[in-house]
Amino acid sequence: MRGKGAVAVVSRIQLQGLTRRFGAVTAVDDIGLDVADGEFLVLLGPSGCGKSTLLRMIAGLLPPSEGRLWLDDTDITHLPPQRRDVAMVFQSYALYPHLSVARNIGFPLRTRKRPRAEIKAKVAEVAATLGLTDLLDRKPRELSGGQRQRVALGRALVRDPGAFLMDEPLSNLDAKLRAGTRAEIAELHRRLRATTVYVTHDQVEAMTMATRIALLNEGRLEQLGTPSEVYDAPASVFAATFLGSPSMNVVDATVRAVDGALVAEAEGLRLSLGIDADIPDRPVRLGVRPEHLTLTSSGGQGIRAIVTAVENLGSEEVAHCDTGVSVRGPRPLGVVPGEAVTLSARPGHLHLFDHDSGRRLAWQAASVPQPV
Amino acid sequence: MVSGAFVEVPAPVRSREACAAGMTDTVPASPAPWQRVRRIAPPYLYLLPAVVLLIVWTYQPLAQTFVLSTYSWNLVPSTPMVDVGLGNYERLLSSPELGRSVWRTVIVILGMLPFTLVIPVAVALLTRRVRGRAQGVYRALVFAPMLVAPVAGAAVWQWLLDPSAGAVNRVLGTDVNWLNTAGTAQLSIIVITGWHVVGFAVLVVTAGLAGINPDYAAAAQIDGASRSQVTRWITVPLLSPTLAFLVLMTVLLSAQWTFPLIDTLTQGGPVGSTTNLYYLLWEYGFRSHDAGLAAAAGVLFFLGFIVVAALLTRLAERLSHHDD
Repeated sequence: MRGKGAVAVVSRIQLQGLTRRFGAVTAVDDIGLDVADGEFLVLLGPSGCGKSTLLRMIAGLLPPSEGRLWLDDTDITHLPPQRRDVAMVFQSYALYPHLSVARNIGFPLRTRKRPRAEIKAKVAEVAATLGLTDLLDRKPRELSGGQRQRVALGRALVRDPGAFLMDEPLSNLDAKLRAGTRAEIAELHRRLRATTVYVTHDQVEAMTMATRIALLNEGRLEQLGTPSEVYDAPASVFAATFLGSPSMNVVDATVRAVDGALVAEAEGLRLSLGIDADIPDRPVRLGVRPEHLTLTSSGGQGIRAIVTAVENLGSEEVAHCDTGVSVRGPRPLGVVPGEAVTLSARPGHLHLFDHDSGRRLAWQAASVPQPV
Repeated sequence: MVSGAFVEVPAPVRSREACAAGMTDTVPASPAPWQRVRRIAPPYLYLLPAVVLLIVWTYQPLAQTFVLSTYSWNLVPSTPMVDVGLGNYERLLSSPELGRSVWRTVIVILGMLPFTLVIPVAVALLTRRVRGRAQGVYRALVFAPMLVAPVAGAAVWQWLLDPSAGAVNRVLGTDVNWLNTAGTAQLSIIVITGWHVVGFAVLVVTAGLAGINPDYAAAAQIDGASRSQVTRWITVPLLSPTLAFLVLMTVLLSAQWTFPLIDTLTQGGPVGSTTNLYYLLWEYGFRSHDAGLAAAAGVLFFLGFIVVAALLTRLAERLSHHDD
């Protein structure tokens, strides 16, 4: 048990080959992660990618089929949840409906048999931080969604846990409240510097809050890195298309050497890769983000396409083309549906992926390494 | 120099105003009465069969009971019914049997609570940890007595409780005449009725448990609660609406549940020690053939149970947490 003002406790969570099978289905497949103390790690992925299962295993609610789990130097793989020093915020908030806000927040202290006066003081302190002081006597059903969310947060904060686990805590809030609460949680993390593992399928939450993102797909770790790394250098076609809105344009192309320089070619497409080299033709998947495409006058080198629709996003516009490619830029883009356009992109903004495995391809020159 | 002025951009025209402005001359004529009937009738027609059945089988007999309670009649069709006003009620309320039977009914209700509340909660909490096929087998075993016809069950229990050769006396090493001793007869009736309904109560509690979001227990565990703390502080309080329902059922229906057993095993005896409200009512009507007195008793019980049911329902509502 940690009191207030105690020496900051280091809480590092390590996952080693964590696997969970439900019958024939492998929900989480051999995940290894090292969450450093004070880190805000976001487990990101589409529905059913195993991110919640992984979090429940860290919480101790679900025993892993294989693998080990450490909190600092303690092996907690087989420890029941009540003996792990972690707090969790549920997607449903799971506020005890028969208890008042004060009793909900104080619950973790009550289970630890703390003196009544101490519980009261601590609850008051946490409630003040979260602006819940006036609501302490209410029952959860008398609260709005945002207030419930804060009570759930308060219940996690009250005991100074070693780590926070959050399972899509913002998914039940409306868009405006979500943005505000996102900032609040990020601020809370900055202040407490507590290790946090945060599950979401929302890429905006992941990009804005995470110190690192662990991108999951079908139970496997697809990419691990800072938000900029994951966005700027996606490790696979999946990572490339999962982050970004609209998602990255990915087309089949062939890399070939033309006059000693590499270009990516496909029907109606020719883009320079900015690499002087001579290699045999290689089929690839070529990716470029919509915001990195620019409209150029017809006839030049690039992607030739016909605009099929233009979406107005307010500050920006997105033009969708017949080849499945979309372009995003400041409004007005100056194109209308039916117009033939040529799109170009800087070589540095082109991503190449292996045609079969979908993994990212990096250019390694024989002498000087030169990233694509 | 160009002169000018700012002009406020008008708000969009509201659709109702637009309609009013554009349609002043096309006010629709009110539809013909027949059309209105056709529009309104279908929901009532759907309700009609159920309402007719309720009236024929429930409300009409109820009204007839009220009427019958003011007559003196011996159930023989050729005998005239004599109007006695409130005479039946006076006779009933001055009879010492009524008070005794009410007290016995209270005993039955209290005696039933362990079978409808305590045992079911314990069994449901324990069988919750059993998984897969074994879970179904457990529940089937517990529920099986409910499927035995009460009279058939009573016959078997009569053999089991037989004072000379019964299995119960042999197992307990006693020689009690269970069904013919004033003290033990009531106990026997309670235990046999309890054996009969316990499976149903387990089923209700199991359904109640299944309706509790498992996140609460998970959250409590992470908050540091031990298994018994989760049960005491989270699961059982969240189960309270179900438990209130079971208390309501027990209070209102215990005496009814015992009826087939009393009639088969003790006929209200020995010396009236198992005569509860319902059996008393039945004795008035079909042993003494005093239809008016039985009807008066029926009316009194009806009103009494309405009050009890109203109180318990209000209690149940206060206990429910609108789990959402």
